[in-house]
Amino acid sequence: MIIDDVSFSVEEGEIAAMIGPNGSGKTTLMRTILGLTPLKQGEILLFGKHLHQVRPLIGYVPQRFMFDRDFPITIREFLDLSRHYACPESRMLEKIHEVGLGTEILKKRLGMLSGGQLQRVLIAQAILNNPRILFLDEPSTGIDISGEAAFYDVIEHLNKEHGTTIILVSHDIAVISDLVDRVICINKHLLCHGPPKTALTPKKLTEVFGKRAEVYEHHAHQHKHHHL
Amino acid sequence: MNVFVEMISFPFMQRAFLAGMILGLLLACLGVYVTLRRMAFFGDGIAHASLAGIAIALLAGIAPLPTALAWALFIAIFIFWLERKVRISSDSLIGILFTASMALGVILMRFTQGYQPDLVSYLFGSILSIQTVDLFVIFLVTAGILAWIAISFRSLTSMSLSEEQASVNGVNTTLQSLLLYIALALATVLGVKILGIILVSALLILPSATSRLLTRSFKSFFFVSILLAETAILVGLTSSYFLDLPSGAAVILVGTILFFLAIFFRKK
Repeated sequence: MIIDDVSFSVEEGEIAAMIGPNGSGKTTLMRTILGLTPLKQGEILLFGKHLHQVRPLIGYVPQRFMFDRDFPITIREFLDLSRHYACPESRMLEKIHEVGLGTEILKKRLGMLSGGQLQRVLIAQAILNNPRILFLDEPSTGIDISGEAAFYDVIEHLNKEHGTTIILVSHDIAVISDLVDRVICINKHLLCHGPPKTALTPKKLTEVFGKRAEVYEHHAHQHKHHHL
Repeated sequence: MNVFVEMISFPFMQRAFLAGMILGLLLACLGVYVTLRRMAFFGDGIAHASLAGIAIALLAGIAPLPTALAWALFIAIFIFWLERKVRISSDSLIGILFTASMALGVILMRFTQGYQPDLVSYLFGSILSIQTVDLFVIFLVTAGILAWIAISFRSLTSMSLSEEQASVNGVNTTLQSLLLYIALALATVLGVKILGIILVSALLILPSATSRLLTRSFKSFFFVSILLAETAILVGLTSSYFLDLPSGAAVILVGTILFFLAIFFRKK
Protein backbone atom coordinates (compact mmCIF):
# COMPACT_ATOMS: atom_id res chain seq x y z
CA MET A 1 0.00 0.00 0.00
CA ILE A 2 1.43 3.36 -1.03
CA ILE A 3 0.00 6.58 0.32
CA ASP A 4 1.65 9.81 -0.63
CA ASP A 5 1.34 13.52 -0.13
CA VAL A 6 -0.37 13.29 3.25
CA SER A 7 0.07 16.23 5.54
CA PHE A 8 -2.27 17.05 8.40
CA SER A 9 -2.26 17.95 12.06
CA VAL A 10 -4.69 17.24 14.87
CA GLU A 11 -5.09 19.54 17.88
CA GLU A 12 -4.73 18.08 21.35
CA GLY A 13 -8.12 17.15 22.86
CA GLU A 14 -9.80 16.59 19.50
CA ILE A 15 -11.51 13.53 18.12
CA ALA A 16 -10.34 13.00 14.56
CA ALA A 17 -11.39 10.36 12.09
CA MET A 18 -9.48 9.04 9.12
CA ILE A 19 -12.08 8.07 6.58
CA GLY A 20 -12.01 6.48 3.17
CA PRO A 21 -13.25 3.38 1.36
CA ASN A 22 -11.77 -0.09 1.91
CA GLY A 23 -8.24 -0.28 0.58
CA SER A 24 -7.77 3.48 0.65
CA GLY A 25 -4.80 3.33 2.99
CA LYS A 26 -6.38 4.47 6.29
CA THR A 27 -5.07 1.54 8.29
CA THR A 28 -1.65 1.79 6.61
CA LEU A 29 -1.49 5.46 7.56
CA MET A 30 -2.38 4.70 11.18
CA ARG A 31 0.12 1.85 11.30
CA THR A 32 2.80 4.15 9.87
CA ILE A 33 2.09 6.75 12.57
CA LEU A 34 2.47 3.99 15.16
CA GLY A 35 5.74 2.73 13.66
CA LEU A 36 4.25 -0.64 12.65
CA THR A 37 4.72 0.05 8.94
CA PRO A 38 7.96 1.73 7.83
CA LEU A 39 7.81 5.31 6.65
CA LYS A 40 9.52 5.76 3.28
CA GLN A 41 9.69 9.53 3.28
CA GLY A 42 8.67 12.44 5.46
CA GLU A 43 8.23 12.95 9.17
CA ILE A 44 5.64 12.09 11.80
CA LEU A 45 5.58 14.07 15.03
CA LEU A 46 3.36 13.40 18.02
CA PHE A 47 3.22 16.23 20.54
CA GLY A 48 6.11 17.72 18.56
CA LYS A 49 8.33 14.70 19.20
CA HIS A 50 9.34 11.51 17.44
CA LEU A 51 7.44 8.30 18.17
CA HIS A 52 10.09 6.61 20.35
CA GLN A 53 10.08 9.61 22.69
CA VAL A 54 6.33 9.54 23.29
CA ARG A 55 5.45 5.79 23.30
CA PRO A 56 4.14 5.85 26.90
CA LEU A 57 1.65 8.56 25.89
CA ILE A 58 0.06 6.40 23.21
CA GLY A 59 -2.79 3.89 23.38
CA TYR A 60 -3.79 1.71 20.43
CA VAL A 61 -6.70 -0.57 19.67
CA PRO A 62 -6.13 -2.61 16.47
CA GLN A 63 -8.83 -3.46 13.96
CA ARG A 64 -8.46 -7.14 14.62
CA PHE A 65 -6.57 -8.38 17.61
CA MET A 66 -5.12 -11.56 16.16
CA PHE A 67 -4.25 -13.98 18.93
CA ASP A 68 -4.43 -17.63 19.77
CA ARG A 69 -7.84 -18.12 21.43
CA ASP A 70 -6.41 -21.01 23.45
CA PHE A 71 -3.73 -18.78 25.01
CA PRO A 72 -4.16 -19.41 28.75
CA ILE A 73 -4.34 -15.88 30.09
CA THR A 74 -6.95 -14.12 32.20
CA ILE A 75 -8.14 -10.57 31.55
CA ARG A 76 -6.36 -9.42 34.72
CA GLU A 77 -3.09 -10.92 33.50
CA PHE A 78 -3.63 -9.48 30.03
CA LEU A 79 -4.16 -5.97 31.39
CA ASP A 80 -1.20 -6.37 33.71
CA LEU A 81 1.09 -6.94 30.70
CA SER A 82 0.55 -3.36 29.54
CA ARG A 83 0.62 -1.79 32.98
CA HIS A 84 3.51 0.62 33.47
CA TYR A 85 5.35 0.28 36.75
CA ALA A 86 3.99 3.63 37.92
CA CYS A 87 0.41 2.62 37.22
CA PRO A 88 -1.37 1.26 40.34
CA GLU A 89 -3.10 -2.12 40.08
CA SER A 90 -6.39 -0.55 41.19
CA ARG A 91 -6.52 1.31 37.91
CA MET A 92 -7.37 -1.94 36.14
CA LEU A 93 -10.72 -2.04 37.96
CA GLU A 94 -11.31 1.63 37.22
CA LYS A 95 -10.70 1.19 33.49
CA ILE A 96 -12.78 -1.99 33.28
CA HIS A 97 -15.72 -0.04 34.74
CA GLU A 98 -15.03 2.87 32.43
CA VAL A 99 -15.46 0.72 29.32
CA GLY A 100 -18.74 -0.63 30.70
CA LEU A 101 -17.63 -4.04 31.96
CA GLY A 102 -17.94 -5.62 35.42
CA THR A 103 -14.97 -6.66 37.54
CA GLU A 104 -16.00 -10.35 37.32
CA ILE A 105 -14.62 -10.31 33.79
CA LEU A 106 -11.06 -10.01 35.16
CA LYS A 107 -11.10 -13.72 36.05
CA LYS A 108 -12.25 -14.81 32.60
CA ARG A 109 -9.93 -16.20 29.98
CA LEU A 110 -9.17 -13.77 27.13
CA GLY A 111 -10.09 -16.33 24.48
CA MET A 112 -13.59 -16.78 25.98
CA LEU A 113 -14.74 -13.19 25.36
CA SER A 114 -17.31 -12.19 22.76
CA GLY A 115 -16.30 -9.73 20.02
CA GLY A 116 -17.81 -6.76 21.87
CA GLN A 117 -16.30 -7.70 25.22
CA LEU A 118 -12.89 -8.21 23.65
CA GLN A 119 -13.03 -4.81 21.97
CA ARG A 120 -13.88 -3.18 25.31
CA VAL A 121 -11.07 -5.04 27.08
CA LEU A 122 -8.70 -3.85 24.34
CA ILE A 123 -9.80 -0.28 24.96
CA ALA A 124 -9.34 -0.75 28.72
CA GLN A 125 -5.85 -2.00 27.97
CA ALA A 126 -5.11 0.92 25.66
CA ILE A 127 -6.21 3.50 28.25
CA LEU A 128 -4.68 1.78 31.28
CA ASN A 129 -1.71 4.11 31.49
CA ASN A 130 -3.84 7.19 30.85
CA PRO A 131 -2.51 7.89 27.35
CA ARG A 132 -2.71 11.41 25.97
CA ILE A 133 -3.58 10.08 22.54
CA LEU A 134 -5.61 7.03 21.62
CA PHE A 135 -5.57 5.39 18.19
CA LEU A 136 -8.52 3.19 17.25
CA ASP A 137 -8.61 1.25 14.01
CA GLU A 138 -12.22 0.52 13.00
CA PRO A 139 -13.12 0.34 16.69
CA SER A 140 -16.63 -1.02 16.25
CA THR A 141 -15.57 -4.06 14.20
CA GLY A 142 -17.28 -7.13 15.63
CA ILE A 143 -19.79 -5.18 17.68
CA ASP A 144 -23.49 -5.40 16.91
CA ILE A 145 -25.41 -2.24 16.05
CA SER A 146 -26.92 -1.81 19.54
CA GLY A 147 -23.52 -2.16 21.15
CA GLU A 148 -22.02 0.28 18.66
CA ALA A 149 -23.84 3.36 19.99
CA ALA A 150 -22.81 2.57 23.57
CA PHE A 151 -19.32 1.93 22.32
CA TYR A 152 -19.02 5.39 20.79
CA ASP A 153 -20.33 6.80 24.08
CA VAL A 154 -17.26 5.29 25.75
CA ILE A 155 -15.00 7.00 23.22
CA GLU A 156 -16.77 10.31 23.74
CA HIS A 157 -16.46 9.91 27.50
CA LEU A 158 -12.70 9.34 27.24
CA ASN A 159 -12.36 12.49 25.20
CA LYS A 160 -14.63 14.74 27.24
CA GLU A 161 -13.80 13.51 30.74
CA HIS A 162 -10.09 12.80 30.35
CA GLY A 163 -9.21 15.13 27.48
CA THR A 164 -7.71 12.22 25.57
CA THR A 165 -6.99 13.03 21.94
CA ILE A 166 -8.60 10.36 19.80
CA ILE A 167 -7.75 9.37 16.26
CA LEU A 168 -9.92 6.70 14.78
CA VAL A 169 -10.07 4.95 11.45
CA SER A 170 -13.47 4.37 9.95
CA HIS A 171 -15.03 3.63 6.60
CA ASP A 172 -18.41 4.64 7.99
CA ILE A 173 -18.76 8.42 7.88
CA ALA A 174 -22.32 8.27 9.18
CA VAL A 175 -21.30 6.89 12.53
CA ILE A 176 -18.52 9.33 13.14
CA SER A 177 -19.84 12.58 11.64
CA ASP A 178 -21.64 13.56 14.88
CA LEU A 179 -18.78 12.46 17.05
CA VAL A 180 -15.65 13.93 15.57
CA ASP A 181 -14.13 17.41 15.47
CA ARG A 182 -12.04 16.69 12.41
CA VAL A 183 -12.05 14.35 9.45
CA ILE A 184 -9.09 13.30 7.37
CA CYS A 185 -10.28 11.87 4.05
CA ILE A 186 -7.90 9.48 2.38
CA ASN A 187 -7.92 7.56 -0.83
CA LYS A 188 -4.24 6.81 -1.56
CA HIS A 189 -3.55 10.47 -0.79
CA LEU A 190 -5.10 13.21 1.32
CA LEU A 191 -8.38 14.42 -0.19
CA CYS A 192 -9.87 16.61 2.53
CA HIS A 193 -9.08 17.70 6.04
CA GLY A 194 -11.07 19.74 8.53
CA PRO A 195 -14.32 19.82 10.53
CA PRO A 196 -16.86 17.35 9.05
CA LYS A 197 -19.42 20.03 8.19
CA THR A 198 -17.03 21.99 5.97
CA ALA A 199 -14.71 19.22 4.79
CA LEU A 200 -17.33 16.65 3.82
CA THR A 201 -19.02 18.38 0.91
CA PRO A 202 -21.04 16.16 -1.47
CA LYS A 203 -18.34 16.72 -4.10
CA LYS A 204 -15.59 15.59 -1.73
CA LEU A 205 -17.63 12.58 -0.65
CA THR A 206 -17.95 11.43 -4.25
CA GLU A 207 -14.23 12.05 -4.72
CA VAL A 208 -13.37 9.94 -1.67
CA PHE A 209 -15.91 7.16 -1.92
CA GLY A 210 -16.91 7.34 -5.60
CA LYS A 211 -20.52 6.50 -6.36
CA ARG A 212 -20.72 4.57 -3.10
CA ALA A 213 -21.05 7.89 -1.27
CA GLU A 214 -24.79 7.78 -1.77
CA VAL A 215 -25.01 4.39 -0.15
CA TYR A 216 -23.09 5.71 2.81
CA GLU A 217 -25.36 8.71 3.17
CA HIS A 218 -28.37 6.45 3.15
CA HIS A 219 -26.73 4.32 5.82
CA ALA A 220 -26.15 7.51 7.80
CA HIS A 221 -29.80 8.27 7.74
CA GLN A 222 -30.66 4.83 9.03
CA HIS A 223 -28.05 4.98 11.70
CA LYS A 224 -29.19 8.35 12.99
CA HIS A 225 -32.70 7.02 13.32
CA HIS A 226 -31.37 4.17 15.31
CA HIS A 227 -29.32 6.48 17.44
CA LEU A 228 -32.28 8.65 18.33
CA MET B 1 13.66 -47.50 50.28
CA ASN B 2 17.29 -48.57 50.52
CA VAL B 3 17.52 -48.87 46.76
CA PHE B 4 16.58 -45.20 46.39
CA VAL B 5 19.16 -44.19 49.00
CA GLU B 6 21.72 -46.27 47.16
CA MET B 7 20.77 -44.65 43.85
CA ILE B 8 21.13 -41.15 45.22
CA SER B 9 24.45 -42.02 46.88
CA PHE B 10 26.16 -42.43 43.51
CA PRO B 11 27.88 -39.18 42.50
CA PHE B 12 26.91 -39.68 38.83
CA MET B 13 23.23 -39.94 39.83
CA GLN B 14 23.52 -36.85 42.02
CA ARG B 15 24.94 -34.96 39.05
CA ALA B 16 22.26 -36.37 36.72
CA PHE B 17 19.42 -35.41 39.07
CA LEU B 18 20.83 -31.97 39.73
CA ALA B 19 21.44 -31.30 36.02
CA GLY B 20 18.02 -32.77 35.18
CA MET B 21 16.19 -30.58 37.70
CA ILE B 22 17.94 -27.42 36.48
CA LEU B 23 17.26 -28.35 32.85
CA GLY B 24 13.64 -29.22 33.61
CA LEU B 25 13.13 -25.75 35.04
CA LEU B 26 14.87 -24.06 32.10
CA LEU B 27 13.22 -26.06 29.31
CA ALA B 28 9.76 -25.74 30.90
CA CYS B 29 10.07 -21.95 31.21
CA LEU B 30 11.25 -21.58 27.62
CA GLY B 31 8.76 -24.21 26.46
CA VAL B 32 5.91 -21.93 27.52
CA TYR B 33 7.00 -19.44 24.85
CA VAL B 34 7.91 -22.18 22.37
CA THR B 35 4.36 -23.56 22.31
CA LEU B 36 2.73 -20.13 22.34
CA ARG B 37 4.90 -18.89 19.48
CA ARG B 38 4.77 -22.24 17.64
CA MET B 39 8.53 -22.61 17.62
CA ALA B 40 8.68 -26.35 18.35
CA PHE B 41 10.50 -27.04 15.10
CA PHE B 42 13.18 -24.49 15.97
CA GLY B 43 14.12 -26.39 19.15
CA ASP B 44 14.19 -29.67 17.27
CA GLY B 45 16.28 -28.15 14.47
CA ILE B 46 18.83 -26.59 16.80
CA ALA B 47 19.27 -29.87 18.69
CA HIS B 48 19.95 -31.75 15.47
CA ALA B 49 22.21 -28.98 14.19
CA SER B 50 24.33 -29.26 17.34
CA LEU B 51 25.68 -32.59 16.02
CA ALA B 52 28.12 -30.66 13.84
CA GLY B 53 29.37 -28.77 16.91
CA ILE B 54 29.87 -32.04 18.79
CA ALA B 55 31.64 -33.60 15.77
CA ILE B 56 34.00 -30.62 15.51
CA ALA B 57 34.81 -30.96 19.22
CA LEU B 58 35.41 -34.74 18.99
CA LEU B 59 37.61 -34.27 15.94
CA ALA B 60 39.62 -31.46 17.51
CA GLY B 61 39.75 -33.16 20.90
CA ILE B 62 38.19 -30.19 22.70
CA ALA B 63 35.29 -30.03 25.18
CA PRO B 64 32.08 -30.97 23.29
CA LEU B 65 29.54 -28.99 25.35
CA PRO B 66 31.04 -25.47 24.93
CA THR B 67 31.76 -26.20 21.24
CA ALA B 68 28.19 -27.38 20.66
CA LEU B 69 26.88 -24.30 22.50
CA ALA B 70 28.94 -21.98 20.30
CA TRP B 71 27.83 -23.81 17.15
CA ALA B 72 24.14 -23.67 18.14
CA LEU B 73 24.49 -19.97 18.92
CA PHE B 74 25.89 -19.41 15.43
CA ILE B 75 23.07 -21.41 13.79
CA ALA B 76 20.37 -19.58 15.83
CA ILE B 77 21.68 -16.14 14.88
CA PHE B 78 22.09 -17.27 11.25
CA ILE B 79 18.45 -18.49 11.11
CA PHE B 80 17.26 -15.24 12.70
CA TRP B 81 19.20 -13.20 10.14
CA LEU B 82 18.10 -15.33 7.17
CA GLU B 83 14.43 -15.14 8.20
CA ARG B 84 14.63 -11.40 7.80
CA LYS B 85 16.66 -11.49 4.57
CA VAL B 86 15.03 -14.24 2.52
CA ARG B 87 11.39 -14.65 1.64
CA ILE B 88 11.22 -18.28 2.65
CA SER B 89 9.14 -19.61 5.53
CA SER B 90 10.87 -20.04 8.86
CA ASP B 91 10.13 -23.79 8.86
CA SER B 92 11.85 -24.29 5.50
CA LEU B 93 14.90 -22.31 6.59
CA ILE B 94 15.22 -24.27 9.83
CA GLY B 95 14.71 -27.52 7.89
CA ILE B 96 17.48 -26.65 5.44
CA LEU B 97 19.97 -25.46 8.05
CA PHE B 98 19.46 -28.23 10.56
CA THR B 99 19.79 -31.02 8.01
CA ALA B 100 22.84 -29.31 6.49
CA SER B 101 24.43 -28.98 9.91
CA MET B 102 23.60 -32.58 10.75
CA ALA B 103 25.02 -33.75 7.42
CA LEU B 104 28.19 -31.82 8.19
CA GLY B 105 28.28 -33.51 11.59
CA VAL B 106 27.94 -36.98 10.04
CA ILE B 107 30.75 -36.28 7.54
CA LEU B 108 33.03 -34.90 10.27
CA MET B 109 32.29 -37.97 12.40
CA ARG B 110 33.52 -40.09 9.47
CA PHE B 111 36.99 -38.63 10.01
CA THR B 112 36.96 -39.45 13.72
CA GLN B 113 38.81 -42.72 14.22
CA GLY B 114 37.23 -45.73 15.93
CA TYR B 115 34.04 -46.17 17.98
CA GLN B 116 32.69 -43.03 19.58
CA PRO B 117 30.80 -43.82 22.78
CA ASP B 118 30.09 -40.11 23.14
CA LEU B 119 28.11 -40.05 19.92
CA VAL B 120 25.54 -42.63 21.06
CA SER B 121 25.05 -40.82 24.35
CA TYR B 122 24.64 -37.52 22.46
CA LEU B 123 21.96 -39.02 20.25
CA PHE B 124 19.79 -40.55 23.00
CA GLY B 125 21.06 -39.08 26.25
CA SER B 126 22.89 -40.71 29.11
CA ILE B 127 22.74 -40.20 32.86
CA LEU B 128 26.36 -41.28 33.03
CA SER B 129 27.47 -38.45 30.79
CA ILE B 130 27.11 -35.47 33.15
CA GLN B 131 30.47 -34.37 34.48
CA THR B 132 31.03 -31.76 37.21
CA VAL B 133 32.22 -29.25 34.62
CA ASP B 134 28.99 -29.82 32.60
CA LEU B 135 26.98 -29.17 35.73
CA PHE B 136 28.82 -25.92 36.18
CA VAL B 137 28.12 -24.81 32.57
CA ILE B 138 24.45 -25.88 32.83
CA PHE B 139 24.03 -23.91 36.05
CA LEU B 140 25.67 -20.74 34.73
CA VAL B 141 23.83 -20.64 31.39
CA THR B 142 20.51 -21.49 33.06
CA ALA B 143 20.96 -18.72 35.63
CA GLY B 144 21.63 -16.24 32.82
CA ILE B 145 18.60 -17.29 30.76
CA LEU B 146 16.23 -17.39 33.77
CA ALA B 147 17.39 -13.92 34.83
CA TRP B 148 16.60 -12.66 31.32
CA ILE B 149 13.14 -14.34 31.41
CA ALA B 150 12.42 -12.74 34.80
CA ILE B 151 13.41 -9.29 33.56
CA SER B 152 11.64 -9.61 30.20
CA PHE B 153 8.62 -11.58 31.45
CA ARG B 154 6.04 -8.98 30.43
CA SER B 155 7.68 -8.26 27.09
CA LEU B 156 8.01 -11.95 26.21
CA THR B 157 4.45 -12.76 27.19
CA SER B 158 3.05 -9.70 25.50
CA MET B 159 4.82 -10.41 22.20
CA SER B 160 3.79 -14.07 22.33
CA LEU B 161 0.19 -12.89 22.45
CA SER B 162 0.52 -10.16 19.83
CA GLU B 163 3.84 -8.93 18.47
CA GLU B 164 2.15 -5.83 17.07
CA GLN B 165 0.55 -4.83 20.37
CA ALA B 166 3.84 -5.42 22.18
CA SER B 167 5.62 -3.21 19.68
CA VAL B 168 3.14 -0.35 20.22
CA ASN B 169 3.66 -0.75 23.96
CA GLY B 170 7.36 -0.08 23.42
CA VAL B 171 8.75 -3.64 23.43
CA ASN B 172 11.82 -4.04 21.21
CA THR B 173 10.36 -7.14 19.55
CA THR B 174 13.33 -7.72 17.23
CA LEU B 175 15.82 -7.77 20.10
CA GLN B 176 13.61 -9.93 22.32
CA SER B 177 13.01 -12.40 19.46
CA LEU B 178 16.76 -12.66 18.85
CA LEU B 179 17.37 -13.24 22.57
CA LEU B 180 14.66 -15.92 22.59
CA TYR B 181 16.35 -17.68 19.65
CA ILE B 182 19.69 -17.55 21.46
CA ALA B 183 18.22 -18.74 24.78
CA LEU B 184 16.45 -21.61 23.03
CA ALA B 185 19.58 -22.66 21.18
CA LEU B 186 21.66 -22.66 24.36
CA ALA B 187 19.01 -24.43 26.45
CA THR B 188 18.45 -27.12 23.83
CA VAL B 189 22.16 -27.90 23.59
CA LEU B 190 22.48 -28.01 27.39
CA GLY B 191 19.76 -30.65 27.40
CA VAL B 192 21.42 -32.74 24.70
CA LYS B 193 23.74 -34.66 27.09
CA ILE B 194 21.01 -35.91 29.36
CA LEU B 195 18.14 -36.16 26.86
CA GLY B 196 19.91 -36.65 23.54
CA ILE B 197 19.84 -34.78 20.23
CA ILE B 198 16.83 -36.70 18.99
CA LEU B 199 14.74 -36.27 22.12
CA VAL B 200 15.67 -32.99 23.81
CA SER B 201 13.13 -30.81 22.01
CA ALA B 202 10.31 -32.97 23.40
CA LEU B 203 10.99 -31.57 26.87
CA LEU B 204 10.51 -28.10 25.45
CA ILE B 205 7.09 -29.01 24.13
CA LEU B 206 5.59 -31.73 26.34
CA PRO B 207 5.33 -29.91 29.70
CA SER B 208 3.85 -26.72 28.25
CA ALA B 209 1.54 -28.56 25.84
CA THR B 210 0.26 -30.67 28.76
CA SER B 211 -0.05 -27.67 31.05
CA ARG B 212 -2.00 -25.79 28.40
CA LEU B 213 -4.65 -28.50 28.49
CA LEU B 214 -5.08 -28.10 32.23
CA THR B 215 -4.80 -24.39 33.00
CA ARG B 216 -6.71 -21.17 32.41
CA SER B 217 -4.38 -18.48 33.68
CA PHE B 218 -0.85 -17.69 32.53
CA LYS B 219 0.55 -18.01 36.04
CA SER B 220 -0.78 -21.54 36.48
CA PHE B 221 0.25 -22.40 32.90
CA PHE B 222 3.82 -21.45 33.76
CA PHE B 223 4.00 -23.23 37.11
CA VAL B 224 2.23 -26.42 36.02
CA SER B 225 4.66 -26.62 33.07
CA ILE B 226 7.61 -26.54 35.49
CA LEU B 227 5.97 -29.09 37.78
CA LEU B 228 5.33 -31.47 34.87
CA ALA B 229 8.88 -31.11 33.52
CA GLU B 230 10.39 -31.85 36.95
CA THR B 231 8.08 -34.85 37.41
CA ALA B 232 9.09 -36.25 34.02
CA ILE B 233 12.78 -35.73 34.85
CA LEU B 234 12.60 -37.33 38.33
CA VAL B 235 10.50 -40.32 37.31
CA GLY B 236 12.34 -40.72 34.00
CA LEU B 237 15.84 -40.64 35.49
CA THR B 238 14.84 -43.01 38.29
CA SER B 239 13.44 -45.55 35.83
CA SER B 240 16.51 -45.03 33.67
CA TYR B 241 18.66 -46.06 36.66
CA PHE B 242 16.61 -49.07 37.74
CA LEU B 243 15.70 -50.42 34.30
CA ASP B 244 18.97 -49.45 32.59
CA LEU B 245 17.17 -47.37 29.96
CA PRO B 246 18.56 -44.44 27.96
CA SER B 247 17.74 -41.44 30.15
CA GLY B 248 16.32 -39.23 27.39
CA ALA B 249 13.93 -41.89 26.19
CA ALA B 250 12.72 -42.62 29.74
CA VAL B 251 12.10 -38.93 30.55
CA ILE B 252 10.24 -38.28 27.31
CA LEU B 253 8.04 -41.36 27.68
CA VAL B 254 7.05 -40.27 31.21
CA GLY B 255 6.27 -36.80 29.81
CA THR B 256 4.18 -38.36 27.04
CA ILE B 257 2.22 -40.48 29.54
CA LEU B 258 1.48 -37.29 31.54
CA PHE B 259 0.32 -35.60 28.32
CA PHE B 260 -2.19 -38.36 27.52
CA LEU B 261 -3.37 -38.49 31.14
CA ALA B 262 -4.06 -34.75 30.86
CA ILE B 263 -6.07 -35.29 27.68
CA PHE B 264 -8.22 -37.95 29.32
CA PHE B 265 -8.70 -36.31 32.70
CA ARG B 266 -8.93 -32.61 31.90
CA LYS B 267 -12.12 -30.74 32.68
CA LYS B 268 -14.15 -30.26 29.53
